[in-house]
Amino acid sequence: MRTGRRETMTPQDSRQNGPGMRGRPLSAARVIKVCLALTGLLILTAVLSTMIGTATVTWDQLWNLLLGNGTATDPAWLVIFRIRLPRVILAGLAGFSLSLGGVVFQALLRNPLADPFILGVSSGSAFGAVLGIMLGLSFDFGVPVLAFGGALLTMYLVLVLGKKRVGMESSTIILAGVIINAFFTAVIMFFIATAVDDRLHTMLFWLYGDLSQSRFAESAITAPAVIAAFLVLYCFSKHLNLMTAGEEAALHLGVDVGRAKLVCFLVVSLVIGLVVAFSGLIGFVGLVIPHLCRMIFGSDHRLLLPVSALGGGIFLIAADTLARTVISPSELPVGVITAFLGAPFFIYLLRKRGSRWAGS
Amino acid sequence: MGRLLTLNKVGYRYASQWALRDISLEMAAGELVGILGPNGSGKTTLLKVADRILEPHEGVVSLKGQPLQAYSRVSLAREIAMVPQENHFQFAFSSLEVVLMGRFSHMGLFQFEGEHDMAVAFEAMEATHCGDLAERPIDQLSGGEKQRVLLARALAQEPELILLDEPTSFLDLRFKKEIFELLSSLKKKRGLSLMIVSHDIDLSARYCDRIMLLDRGRVFSEGTPGEVLTARNVEAVYGCPVSVDKNPATGSPRVSIV
Repeated sequence: MRTGRRETMTPQDSRQNGPGMRGRPLSAARVIKVCLALTGLLILTAVLSTMIGTATVTWDQLWNLLLGNGTATDPAWLVIFRIRLPRVILAGLAGFSLSLGGVVFQALLRNPLADPFILGVSSGSAFGAVLGIMLGLSFDFGVPVLAFGGALLTMYLVLVLGKKRVGMESSTIILAGVIINAFFTAVIMFFIATAVDDRLHTMLFWLYGDLSQSRFAESAITAPAVIAAFLVLYCFSKHLNLMTAGEEAALHLGVDVGRAKLVCFLVVSLVIGLVVAFSGLIGFVGLVIPHLCRMIFGSDHRLLLPVSALGGGIFLIAADTLARTVISPSELPVGVITAFLGAPFFIYLLRKRGSRWAGS
Repeated sequence: MGRLLTLNKVGYRYASQWALRDISLEMAAGELVGILGPNGSGKTTLLKVADRILEPHEGVVSLKGQPLQAYSRVSLAREIAMVPQENHFQFAFSSLEVVLMGRFSHMGLFQFEGEHDMAVAFEAMEATHCGDLAERPIDQLSGGEKQRVLLARALAQEPELILLDEPTSFLDLRFKKEIFELLSSLKKKRGLSLMIVSHDIDLSARYCDRIMLLDRGRVFSEGTPGEVLTARNVEAVYGCPVSVDKNPATGSPRVSIV
């Protein structure tokens, strides 16, 4: 009897049945296979993106330069190493962490509308950045430092306000985030309303996500933090699975929910604060890519976490490539592109596949 | 095997309102204990205190002679499992995936479910007669099917004690009986201990070894179904006139509203 039942659960079946229906649980081999494939796609996207732009770089040129056969006076070298590659890498890192943060928050808060900005980290760092731009600080140091400081400030406020005696209940946390968001948004509007010169343009670009100021130094700071955050969060992937079944259920099943929540909140907020400080507010990635990946790969966070992160990287590199080429030589804020592409695609998928969020 | 779970003068309050007061209970291995009482009498709070979802403000809960605080969440999950009244799933997990969640406390941090975990899960699903539901999404199951999957998840934890919070409340007559039959056979076959909160007085009377009747957070009466379920006790606690006779088919007390 049991063997008969087992035979019905071959991997072939599970593929036909789609992600939510698969009988067999996830295997390590599948996670590794899918992740390797997506990493390949990420690298391919990055290489293509480096070649595309106002000044076209051919494959031979790029290959030669990457092998170290270029000189610093070569215009192609300048375009690749000073402008495009740092930007592509930062876009990849930003997309990676925004999408990672989104998938974690959606699970933690059991809320399909959650994105990495829901706790107000965005408005806090926007406040810091806008203040920095207002004061005429540089994008090398002053603006990112203030933005990161603003993110830390909101994170602190949300956790203190949300913690109270109930012990970090999700709705309290979200509410605290929304309130803080509203407050800082008002402050930002005040700055914008009083800004007169070209600083207004800079502010608006920052608020819609701007990767044009990228340099290698920023990636060098961001990359280790992003990788560390991913590793920590991946340790909690099974915890996240159980917490989507409810916090109390997770407790019964053996998850130290309080600790898991605190660690995940902190790690996501820190890394998002850091990324946002360099990239500005890039919306939509953290909301759409996790849902998209959930539709395609199912709800198991052991696969969903890496897949969403890699998918976010791919998506943002592609979107940023469009942002700087569509109206070349001028460019658009990348947030415009992410929303422009993301929204219709998401609606298409939603209609075709149905949401993975069970109707309640 | 002796005492498994001991509650010693346990009290719990929400703000200043005591929900439980002075509750003492000793559960032996292989016992089926029913917790009865009207709405708001503290039944669910008692279950939550017994699994350290809530920390009691008074008294001590101990498992195998050790206070519950001495256990980590993971080690507790290997000893005590809970079948909730209702579990809403935000994502469309398959029933098998839900049952495999019960294996969390037995697996390493980066471990994937192996042959053994699968075997335990399938065995649990067979024991609760839901093996054929393995591939069905949990949110598309009927109330009775879902309850059996959740019971299988609890079994997959391989606990010594299962707490059940009104597992039959949304079920029709036949499923109610099936669940109680199932619990009774699990107790006999595996020596499991079970604590069940229920509004089904008659079924509890028939299947439970012992019954604890709660009234406004305190123990009103405790003992065998025959001792506890007298017309006087039930009337006093539920505030509703009843007559109690013997069920001619089973010999257990039968409570009827008059």
